[in-house]
Amino acid sequence: MKFAFFPGCTMAYRLPFAEKSIRMVVPHFDVELVDLAFTCCPEPNTVRALSDDTWITLAARNIALAEAEGLNILTACAGCHESLSLAKHELDENPDRKNKVNELLKDLGLEYKGTSTIVHVHQLLFDEIGIESISSKVVRPVPIKVVTHTGCHLLRPERVLHVDNAEVPVKLDMLCESLGMVPLEYMDKTMCCGAGVRKINSVTSYAILREKMTSIAMVEPNAIVVFCPTCFITFESGQRVANRIFGTDFKIPVFYYTELLAIALNLPETDILLAEHRVKIELPTSTETKEENKTETKDSIPSSP
Amino acid sequence: MSDMSEDLQTNRLKELKETALPCFQCGVCSSSCPVFRVSPELNPRVSVDSIISRGKVPSEGNEWLCAYCLMCDQRCPMGVSLAEILMVIKNISAKEGQAPPDVIESAESLMADGCQSPISSRSEKQREDMGLPKLPRADPEDVKMLFRATGAAEVLELNRSTSGEASE
Amino acid sequence: MTTSHPKGSSAGPPEVEVVSSEPELRIGVFPCKCGKNIGAVVNIDAVAEYAKTLPGVVHVQVNTYTCADPGQREIQEAIAQHGLNRIVVASCSPTMHEDTFRKTVKAAGLNPYLCIMTNIREHVSWVHQHDPASATKKAMDLIAMSVAKAATLVAQPELDVPVTQAALVVGAGVAGMQAALDLADAGFKAYLIERQPTIGGIMAILDKVFPQNDCSICILGPKMVDVAKHPNITLITMAEVESISGYVGNFEVRVKQRPRYVNMDKCTSCGDCVEVCPVDVPSRTDQNLTWQKAIQIPFPQAVPSSYFIDPEACLGMDLIRCGKCIDRCEQEAINASDRTKYVDFDVGVIILATGFKPADPSKTPRLGWGRFPNVITTLEFERLINAAGPTEGKLVRPSDLLKPTSVAIAQCVGSRDIGTRSACSNYCCAESVKCALLIKEHYPDTDVTIFYQDLRMHGKYFEDQYLKAREEGVKFIRGRVGEIQQYPDTKNLRVSVEDTTHNKLSMENYDMVVLSMGAEGAAGNFPLPISCTSDSFYIESHPKLKPVDTSSAGVFICGGAESPKDIRDSVIQASAAAGRAAIILQKGRYPIEALSAKIMQDICSRCGTCVSRCPYGAISQDGTGKFTVMGALCQACGTCAGDCPQDAIYMPNFTSEQIEAQIETALVENTSEKIVAFACAFCSYRGSDLAGVSRMQYPTNARVIRAMCSGRYSVRFAQKAFELGAGAVLYSGCHLPADCHFQTGNVWMAKRESRIRGWMKRNNIEDERFRVEWVSAGEGKKWQNIMTEMAHVVTTPRKNSSTPKTPTVAKSEKPVKPKTKAKPKGKQASKPHSPGKGTSTKKTTRKK
Repeated sequence: MKFAFFPGCTMAYRLPFAEKSIRMVVPHFDVELVDLAFTCCPEPNTVRALSDDTWITLAARNIALAEAEGLNILTACAGCHESLSLAKHELDENPDRKNKVNELLKDLGLEYKGTSTIVHVHQLLFDEIGIESISSKVVRPVPIKVVTHTGCHLLRPERVLHVDNAEVPVKLDMLCESLGMVPLEYMDKTMCCGAGVRKINSVTSYAILREKMTSIAMVEPNAIVVFCPTCFITFESGQRVANRIFGTDFKIPVFYYTELLAIALNLPETDILLAEHRVKIELPTSTETKEENKTETKDSIPSSP
Repeated sequence: MSDMSEDLQTNRLKELKETALPCFQCGVCSSSCPVFRVSPELNPRVSVDSIISRGKVPSEGNEWLCAYCLMCDQRCPMGVSLAEILMVIKNISAKEGQAPPDVIESAESLMADGCQSPISSRSEKQREDMGLPKLPRADPEDVKMLFRATGAAEVLELNRSTSGEASE
Repeated sequence: MTTSHPKGSSAGPPEVEVVSSEPELRIGVFPCKCGKNIGAVVNIDAVAEYAKTLPGVVHVQVNTYTCADPGQREIQEAIAQHGLNRIVVASCSPTMHEDTFRKTVKAAGLNPYLCIMTNIREHVSWVHQHDPASATKKAMDLIAMSVAKAATLVAQPELDVPVTQAALVVGAGVAGMQAALDLADAGFKAYLIERQPTIGGIMAILDKVFPQNDCSICILGPKMVDVAKHPNITLITMAEVESISGYVGNFEVRVKQRPRYVNMDKCTSCGDCVEVCPVDVPSRTDQNLTWQKAIQIPFPQAVPSSYFIDPEACLGMDLIRCGKCIDRCEQEAINASDRTKYVDFDVGVIILATGFKPADPSKTPRLGWGRFPNVITTLEFERLINAAGPTEGKLVRPSDLLKPTSVAIAQCVGSRDIGTRSACSNYCCAESVKCALLIKEHYPDTDVTIFYQDLRMHGKYFEDQYLKAREEGVKFIRGRVGEIQQYPDTKNLRVSVEDTTHNKLSMENYDMVVLSMGAEGAAGNFPLPISCTSDSFYIESHPKLKPVDTSSAGVFICGGAESPKDIRDSVIQASAAAGRAAIILQKGRYPIEALSAKIMQDICSRCGTCVSRCPYGAISQDGTGKFTVMGALCQACGTCAGDCPQDAIYMPNFTSEQIEAQIETALVENTSEKIVAFACAFCSYRGSDLAGVSRMQYPTNARVIRAMCSGRYSVRFAQKAFELGAGAVLYSGCHLPADCHFQTGNVWMAKRESRIRGWMKRNNIEDERFRVEWVSAGEGKKWQNIMTEMAHVVTTPRKNSSTPKTPTVAKSEKPVKPKTKAKPKGKQASKPHSPGKGTSTKKTTRKK
């Protein structure tokens, strides 16, 4: 499989280690990534709030770039995924709108046709590759307790995105299980992390995060696993801000899922990923976990003494 | 493609009212809203009520607080797209020069750089250190052209002048 | 007794005599203002003036309410004074009042089939409220079409059929039981069919019933015994209706009964078998909160009072696989060789009391049912608070079996939500208040909060119930529950609601939440095509005046099958349905519409196509090769006529000649902007009426032609309309495949579509100008959409607009041609017939 890779501004310039982890793991599943001259997706809460036409035209330009190469788009950020998917949905449903957009793209030598699909890394791993294939490649299981946060923009609007059940998401939990983690149920699982309103009113944003973190802390997980760089930053850096504002004491490490996948595949250089984390975690060492895992579970995993 | 005239604005309100009409004010949206949970100033039910019963956009501008998490949209028993309604309210508010400064700043950065926040040389260096490829960038002129042709540049200009007035 | 051949019988007078008996066509037109309903939109006086100019019309009289007594009297007086021999009443839908006016003219000595209606209310004033000028023009056109049709109406003999004096009642919940008991008490035989092993329905599993909160099974139990013991009731449980044929008065029913594996006559309900049965199955009565055995009785008061074996769960009724119950039963009641049985019987009437399904809580995932053990439904609550339930009436929460100290009740679950059912369930408010009172009665210290959207305490004594709950300290908060979250350790529940009275978010914790569940429709899976609403409830014949009749004569509905309702309303409807049914049974004979098909032998080419089209087997070939129609079997759908290559089948009141006259009249002017819309009487026409009743506005382009069934619409009608320049043509019928009131008429109509499209292509007529649609009686909105879309098609300029060149176009210089040619009785031999023509005699017989 070959994709036009759409890391998005946030991941590319604020969370490069998460992008690195994606680039590290996908070749192991025969996935090839191509970089194109994309702009921001663009983020709906800013650009679309100013002009719906600007939002859809920029999104159409991004998709058209991939279409020109005959590639589907692989997104890594929930926000980008939703923005591009909604724009595509609107353009495919509304020919008038498509024609208007194409009038402008013509000047750039582009045309939106509707031929490329938008796939998030979440969907690539769960729907295309599948958890069986993933767990068969795991050599270093990660036996930690986690809570998962799929992210608003991967779940909703459910009628357009179809990534997971929007009220009861389970797929990211299953992906975590396939790496040896224990996903925990917690309250407010589908609640927003608060990122969406940070630019407008940061206190509101961190108050939302406080609510969410309170529910998460209740089940005492070792880490939070996300599939969105914006959620990652909100959880990781936001905890400290929330602690400062509200006097709370949150200190839970955060992972973008493919980081843990890289570790479970025992890929070299995963240290450089973890080095960038602001809330540190001691992951159980490789040999320990393999022993445990082997004796407890199945015997099909190749063992190394 | 830009629609700045008064008539179009009124038409949009009319359309908005039509999509909001099935709302029976049950409160499922508000009780699902993470923002309302911590900041009672944003109540999506009340925003929709204002559209339906008063036929106008609420003047307080609280709709900018919407995090666009789409929880209300997901759960509305009458299938009203609340987040879309709030988005249109923001559109109208922006065209009246009421967009919050940080939104304007992000949009300006996007118009200039193709990216929401300015790309610093530090972050470029960090990518390089990590062995990540340098990402191809869009021609800034192309982005500017699209901003101008689709109305955002005009809205930005408008908000720049109003914020200027306000600061004076 | 068998029916004699109803019409076309040898006694029928030859055609010549019919013509001479009514030498002059004298049509009376009666436009109605219907108060302001029509009068405020349509200029009735202008319509009346126009009607006077129509050929054959000798008298026009406007009335404010034609259906009222003075209005009817005026029609009768006008018949006498002016010697009227055809009547056109231009008022509301024929579905509403055709019967009324037929009786009116009959009382004045006129054959009732000489009276027809023009629908200028549901099809004009109510749907074109903002365009009085076009509405008035449309009303004029519709009246002209009716006058053209009236000119060729022929008196039909009135017929009746004998009635089998027995009733089929389907479903033995409280409604079906009541209906069967009422009929049985009135002296009629009743067959009561129940799918489950016991009768009693949902009421049998409730604890107390509002508003007096008396014990449900205490009042239902004796009634169940009455049913079992009544000499006039044959109760068949574990059974479903397999097939029904025939018609009102003469239904032949086949019931399929599943094996019970226990001989009901021998079983003493001692329960010894249960002690040895090794298989546990979730208890249906207890809402899966506990277990029963594979051999079981649903509850102690079950009727019949006999055990049964669940064959899916049973290990095997032989001593090798299990057979413990056989071994144990001293009565030797276990019958391992029990088989599916078929029971056949005849009835005159049918009452459908098939009930509703409780709504499915998993369709509202935000409330956590199924994930959070302490979120329960109202029915689960009923079992937990019921002394006969799994906890012997002690209210506990499922997660830890502890008594809850605080309970929230969330209303409108499964109701008022487009994702489940958009309508109100009608009973969930009263149910919630009842649950709250039951908790307070047993545990006064428990904190009970009801979250309501609109508290609809609409029934008799309901408000008292509400006040009592207030007095008992039940809290009422206005706001619909947005979500429920469960604390991972305590399994307590956090309920998020906006208190919409105070614009304030309430996020309180409760030990338990009861979801007040609505209802889902379960109607439609029945071997008789009775129209259903889009949410699967049966549609009544008239929402106010015939609320328990259906569009099928002799078939009645009651209880939850008609709409969600409480016990009292179910019983009221059941007695009403029994009363309506008894009218038919008691008379012994039932008048049927004299509209059955007749084959015109002189034109018939003996191809036999009609035989395959008839869903009732009413057409057969005699020894001489002649095809004839058995009148009492024919239901007058006209599907045979729709496909007759020779157009040799005469459908009284819906003849090809009459329909083509309507088409011609509709297309006198502005043809390219006109839509000729065919609608079947039982689904599409009622759907169009619903659009009217609901005041759904749409453009005025359509001219609707009503037929009994879409099977009647021949290929020729669409061709004729296009030849005359129609902008568009609509063929609308009941939904495929099984909704057709006449079983397969819609299927045969659908098969004609490709022929029509092929013909259109050859004649350069754009594809979008012809539409085949399926509109049910509940789809007013769909009718509005179709009308609006098709109006867009006819008003959008076409590139290469084309009208096929045919002789018919050339003739159109004469506008409306009422054809008084009396051409009835299939037997006349003289005149050659060709579809759409036959003009030779008209001018001479037409008046003026």
